[in-house]
Amino acid sequence: MRIKAKLKGDKTEVKVMMKHPMLSYREAKKKGKEANFIVYVTAKNEGATVFEVSTSQFLSKNPYMKFYFKGGKKGEEVEITWVDLKGKTKTGKAKIK
Amino acid sequence: MQRRKFLGLGAGILAAAAAAPTMLMAENYRKALPKVWKIKNNEKSKGEDMTGVNEAIKAIFGSDKVEEGKVTLKAPAIAENGAVVPVSLKAEGAKKIALLQTADPESVVAIFDVPERGIPNYSVRIKMQQTGHVVVVAEIDGKLYKADKVVKVTVGGCGG
Repeated sequence: MRIKAKLKGDKTEVKVMMKHPMLSYREAKKKGKEANFIVYVTAKNEGATVFEVSTSQFLSKNPYMKFYFKGGKKGEEVEITWVDLKGKTKTGKAKIK
Repeated sequence: MQRRKFLGLGAGILAAAAAAPTMLMAENYRKALPKVWKIKNNEKSKGEDMTGVNEAIKAIFGSDKVEEGKVTLKAPAIAENGAVVPVSLKAEGAKKIALLQTADPESVVAIFDVPERGIPNYSVRIKMQQTGHVVVVAEIDGKLYKADKVVKVTVGGCGG
């Protein structure tokens, strides 16, 4: 997972690229594989949830997201966690610059 | 002083414990609304039929009374590669936002829950199998608002 978090005035801008094939049911069938894709993503800043999305098979491969949240300070951490259809989960962290 | 501190701490923990389970239920729409992800588009309509999208709006927000406005949606008029279509949305004051389309087998792409410190301004990249509408619906002050944009897809990107 690649995360960039940047303080912009009174808010923090976060860009994240999650590594995942995001195989839709149709794509999986074509490839003879099982469908699997990220279904839920959250981001936290020092323990507080600041971003939250439930997702489907129609996000592009290696999903990219950009979002903002109120507050944040340079040096604080942004922690992003995703869960996929099979229950696999991954967490990445970045410091706010 | 110490007693007061102790009592304050206790109340805080109790409040957090009481609020946590319901909040989790409301936040993960995969678990809270498992059926909405299966609502199908009419693929034969070549992205024109909004039936699936309207059904999904009702299932997600409990109403299909939707007004135009208050929501900004940015998407390309023509997408050369349907596998990667950049979409940005803004809906100031929104608590819940749904991203939908008419181009893929099912209608729902994502549902955002806006936390207290969240800012409803999101960019994602989506897959579109064919030309269709991209629709954003946001709940603002108990009312539903939407923005709708047609994206012409030259090469489909959903294994179709």
